[in-house]
Amino acid sequence: MIDPLQASVRIATSGLDAQSTRLRIVAENLANANATAKAAGAEPYRRKTVTFDAAVDSTIGARLVNVKEFGVDSSPYRVEYDPGHPAANENGYVKLPNVNMLVEMADMRETNRSYEANLQVVKQVRSMAAMLIDLLRGT
Amino acid sequence: MLESLALSTLNTIGDSLRTRQVQTSALTPASAATQPASATATAFDSVMGQLAKEAVTTLKAGEAASIAGLQGRASAQQVVEAMMSAERSLQLAISVRDKVVQAYQELTRMAI
Repeated sequence: MIDPLQASVRIATSGLDAQSTRLRIVAENLANANATAKAAGAEPYRRKTVTFDAAVDSTIGARLVNVKEFGVDSSPYRVEYDPGHPAANENGYVKLPNVNMLVEMADMRETNRSYEANLQVVKQVRSMAAMLIDLLRGT
Repeated sequence: MLESLALSTLNTIGDSLRTRQVQTSALTPASAATQPASATATAFDSVMGQLAKEAVTTLKAGEAASIAGLQGRASAQQVVEAMMSAERSLQLAISVRDKVVQAYQELTRMAI
C-alpha cells in the first residue's frame, strides 16, 4: 500500500506527461500549418490529434492518464488559388494543411491550464507533506 | 512506509524509556542491568541504521532519475517527481533523527 500523497504526485506527474505530449502535437500542427506537398495534386500535412486514456497502475492502485494514440484529423484541406505553386493542380488550386491556427491556439491554452492544474496538485502535496513533517520539528 | 517507520521509532523510544524505568525502580545490580541496556543500544542502532538506509535508497532513486533525465531517458516531470520523493524522505529522516537524538539526550540527562 503506497502513501496516498505519493500516489497523488505519481498521478499528477502522469497528467503533466500527457499534457506535454499534447503540447508536442500542437507544436507539430502549428509548425506544419503551411506545409504543402512537393508534387502537383499531392496531399499536404494532415493535422494530428492526440487522445488520452485512463490506465490502471497496479503498483499504486490508481488510474493514471496516458496517451492512447495519435490520430489524424480527417476534415477537408484548405484550398487556395495559386497557379504558380509547385503543388498546384491542373486548375491552379493548392491544397493546404487542415490546420486551423485558432483551434491550435485554443488547444494550447487548454493544455497550459491542464498542466497548471496538475502542477497545483504537486504543490499541494508538497505543502501537505511539509506540514506533516513539521509536526516532528516543533518542540 | 516512512510514516510507519517513524511510528515504530517512537515506539522503540517508548520501550527504551520503559526499560530504563524498570531498571531504575528495581534497583538491580550493575551486572544484571548491563543486559537490557545493551539490548536498547542495539535497538537504537538498528533504528538509526534502518532510517539511514531508507533515506539513502530514496536519494539514490532520485539521483538515478536525474541522471536518466540528463541522458534524455526520462522526462523532466519524472525527474522532478523522483527528486521530490527523495527530498521528502530525507526531510522525514532528518526530522525523525532529530527527534530520536533529542529523546536519547533526554535519557542521558536523566538524573538517576
